[in-house]
Amino acid sequence: MDPMVSMYISQGIHGIAYGMILFLIASGLNIIFGMMGILNMAHTAFFMLAAYFCYVVVGITGNFWLGLLFAPLFTAVLGVVMERVFLRKAVGHMGELILTMGISFVIVAAIKKIWGTESLPLQMPEVLSGMVNIVGVTYPVYRLFVIGLALVILVFMLLLLYRTRLGKIVRAAVSDRDMVNALGININLVFMFVFGVGTWMAGLAGVAIAPILTVFPGLADQVGMDAFIVVVTGGFGSLLGAFIVSIIFGLLSSYGVQFVSQFAPVLMVVFMAIVLAFRPNGLFGVKE
Amino acid sequence: MMKNKLNVVWWVIGLVFLAFFPKLFGIYYTNVVVTMAIFAVYSLSVNMLLGYTGLLSFGQAMFFGFGGYGTALALTHIPGIGVLPAIGLGVLAAVALALILSPLVVRVSGTAFAMLHLAFGQLMYVLALKLYNITGGEDGIANFPVPGLFTESLKSSPEHFYYLAMVILGISTWLMWYMTKTPFGQIQVGIRDNAKRIDYLGYRVPQSKAVIYVLSALFAGVAGSVYGLFHNLVSADGSLGIGMSFTPIISVMIGGVGSFFGPILGVAIFQLVDELILRYTESTELVMGVILIVVVMFMPTGFMGLFRTLRQKISTRRTPEAKKEKA
Repeated sequence: MDPMVSMYISQGIHGIAYGMILFLIASGLNIIFGMMGILNMAHTAFFMLAAYFCYVVVGITGNFWLGLLFAPLFTAVLGVVMERVFLRKAVGHMGELILTMGISFVIVAAIKKIWGTESLPLQMPEVLSGMVNIVGVTYPVYRLFVIGLALVILVFMLLLLYRTRLGKIVRAAVSDRDMVNALGININLVFMFVFGVGTWMAGLAGVAIAPILTVFPGLADQVGMDAFIVVVTGGFGSLLGAFIVSIIFGLLSSYGVQFVSQFAPVLMVVFMAIVLAFRPNGLFGVKE
Repeated sequence: MMKNKLNVVWWVIGLVFLAFFPKLFGIYYTNVVVTMAIFAVYSLSVNMLLGYTGLLSFGQAMFFGFGGYGTALALTHIPGIGVLPAIGLGVLAAVALALILSPLVVRVSGTAFAMLHLAFGQLMYVLALKLYNITGGEDGIANFPVPGLFTESLKSSPEHFYYLAMVILGISTWLMWYMTKTPFGQIQVGIRDNAKRIDYLGYRVPQSKAVIYVLSALFAGVAGSVYGLFHNLVSADGSLGIGMSFTPIISVMIGGVGSFFGPILGVAIFQLVDELILRYTESTELVMGVILIVVVMFMPTGFMGLFRTLRQKISTRRTPEAKKEKA
């Protein structure tokens, strides 16, 4: 195959892989926001924390898969604790935003204190570290694995939301939480569960990205900001919007780096500005 | 009448105290006061949006930064420009940016407004890093001349700079205070509490939001411009970074949202804590985070609210009715 074409294709897959990671973070943010109306500013700090947890687990056991299993779980537990202990006490949107911001400051500071500021390398497992040849394009297996993982999570989320009783309750609570509460469902427990799932997904994304970008304290800023932009552009509370915009942004960033490397980060913000100029609530957002 | 006279006396004492401050306390504390004054004006500009119109912006640093960069660029590239026109140009840059953004941002509110500003702020930060021909990239713009009103340069005379800065910042503070007393300021409070009602009363909500937005940017620009002159350095991390957007929010939260003098109290407390912490530990982030959590959880109205409730408790205890009830 023509080397130029194969390069474009491999850049495209790169973009989709990055978009999938963005989607994992953004959808976690999105279900928390959709249901509880809380924009969790600490979400990206949890995402980064999971990468560090994974580093520790891999350091102890030497097994990446155990890291992939346990690091997001630890993160989810911390998320639930934060929701129970702190977030319940916050008053109003402003209070929630600022409180979660404060928690993210504390997490980042703790990370710097414990693990230092340098980049920590994370070995990917042997199975995923090779290259694979698909119709003449050689491509790293790991990124394909990331795409697959995100798709599995997407299917799992859709099944959970649209095929189970719990999903029904969650969807009902998104549209009217007081009514669901009045029907005798323990809404606080459901909130706790949703918050846990949301942070679990952020943790999964953190583990998935760790072998690609290494683990460092700037991770939350670098990837997290993109995830926030995805949520704003896609529309708060819309999974479909998050999915589509994640892929668009992934492609924008990978092709952007190739063609206008200096201004790749600017492209996303410009895209967002254009979308918001015409639809203030995001592409798929519903009016508040 | 009596109370008014007492107020005047207090104001005069305060002004005299500030006028002789450099003579009394030396250069180090003079600089602390200038820093406080800069951040007071900056926090007041944030409170103008947050407390009086209910708009939380996570990107106020872009106006602060534009003020700084505008002034620094003017002083670097325009030979013989005075300090006041340079500040004016910086403020103009901030206002111009706000005017460009305002049609877009006044249509959203709440979380979307906050996030939109986070994104635009990030955009400006990245642009400042990338456009190094203009902004000097990571190094920023440093060592630009700082002419005085009567002297050649203010660089070696921090005392003169103190007076210049305090007069500019003082006037800004007074203007913002005056604004809240006008009917226009009252409409802003109305928009915060019930935008629909203000709309039905016949006021144009997006337009008045836009005006307050531009005014807020103007004062943030003033603060940023003076800050740039004060340090003789404008850099992406120092003036445009995300931390610079959060510092005033933290001060406003500590002091108390919505009360006019709350942010000033918040800045004083915040700066003091910052001074003390830096002597013991490097991680201001941790302390800032803990302060934010404590304030949100235990005193949502900030120190101003805390004082108010304390004063109420004390004054109610003194009344005879309260005593009777107790007995």
